[in-house]
Amino acid sequence: MDRIDGMLEEFFAPEAPRALASRVLRALRAERAGLETLVGKFRIEASERGVVRLHPGRGFHGPSAQARAHAERAGRELHEYFAGHRTFFTVPVDLAGAGEFQARVLAEALRIPFGEVDSYAALARRVGHPRAARAVGNALGANPVPVIVPCHRIIRGDGTWGHYAFGGEMKTQLLRLERSTPAIIGCTSTRIVCRRGCAHEQRVREANRVVFASVEDAASVGYRPCRVCRPSSAA
Amino acid sequence: MDARTFARASEEYAARLYTVAYRLLGNRADAEDAVQRALLKAFEARESYTPRWALSTWLYRVLTNVCIDELRRRRRVPPEPLPGGRTATRVERTDLARALGTVPREARVLLALHYVNGLSYRELAAIRGISVNTVKSQLARGKAILKQALEE
Repeated sequence: MDRIDGMLEEFFAPEAPRALASRVLRALRAERAGLETLVGKFRIEASERGVVRLHPGRGFHGPSAQARAHAERAGRELHEYFAGHRTFFTVPVDLAGAGEFQARVLAEALRIPFGEVDSYAALARRVGHPRAARAVGNALGANPVPVIVPCHRIIRGDGTWGHYAFGGEMKTQLLRLERSTPAIIGCTSTRIVCRRGCAHEQRVREANRVVFASVEDAASVGYRPCRVCRPSSAA
Repeated sequence: MDARTFARASEEYAARLYTVAYRLLGNRADAEDAVQRALLKAFEARESYTPRWALSTWLYRVLTNVCIDELRRRRRVPPEPLPGGRTATRVERTDLARALGTVPREARVLLALHYVNGLSYRELAAIRGISVNTVKSQLARGKAILKQALEE
């Protein structure tokens, strides 16, 4: 055993705060959100190009069978998302009804990765109007497709939530859900990494799941990215 | 596994789980939160637990999954300077914390698991879903990078 071993052993010696276990167990009993029931409370409207509107109400609506298929697919994906089984949406979104500025803001919001947050000011900079944080806030406030276009991932510069169409409590729940849902999953038997929600990932047994922080990390220990969900483009 | 067995196991392992989380995440609040979320996940998934695994291995797997996802979310947070230990000087520990920051993430995770609880190569392989040979090469590589960073 060399000097580094000794230093590492010393460095990693356990030192837990007192009464940690009892505190944790108490918190476990208090926890349990149950967001899955939410999906039945949305009215989802779609065009033939994709989801157009999501608001309180019920059912899947569209002018044609293809449009309704988009709405139903959005419903299925939302259900998985609220259950913590999905971290991205594949259903297309149709933002044709939005103005040019709003469409740019919403497109930029779509690029914020699952589980991360950004500020109104940073988003304003990225759409090329660094002084328009308030206008960005308004554009997001009028987001016709909340949750799927993740306007809940934008918070104020001081860390507080800001306005959310479904109320601050729901924004808290969504951000908490995203914090406790891992995004990049490796399967220990196939050594393939997927995004959570990929059809392949959903078939992986619980005992075979390992989480990675990036596709590069996974590659460093011999995992390759899934060719279907292509996790490198996401993370 | 029933709730009582689970509670007893949580009490037994909480301190070691906490230390792994603390060394990976760099601050106490996040470490405690990670242990809490890991135990919640483990509790929910307790039906899928099979005695084929040692209970500790399974808990470390769940905890490591939680911590690594936390690291994904905040890619550039440097570990905070750590308080002095029994024999090592404060400078030595701070140096080590800084040097560990230069070790690639997967190797750093393996080092933490290996040195907190003396987990074997086989256990590390089961926790991270990799081969024993990969564990060995990652640990050796991590230590080589550490050594170089400490000598600079």
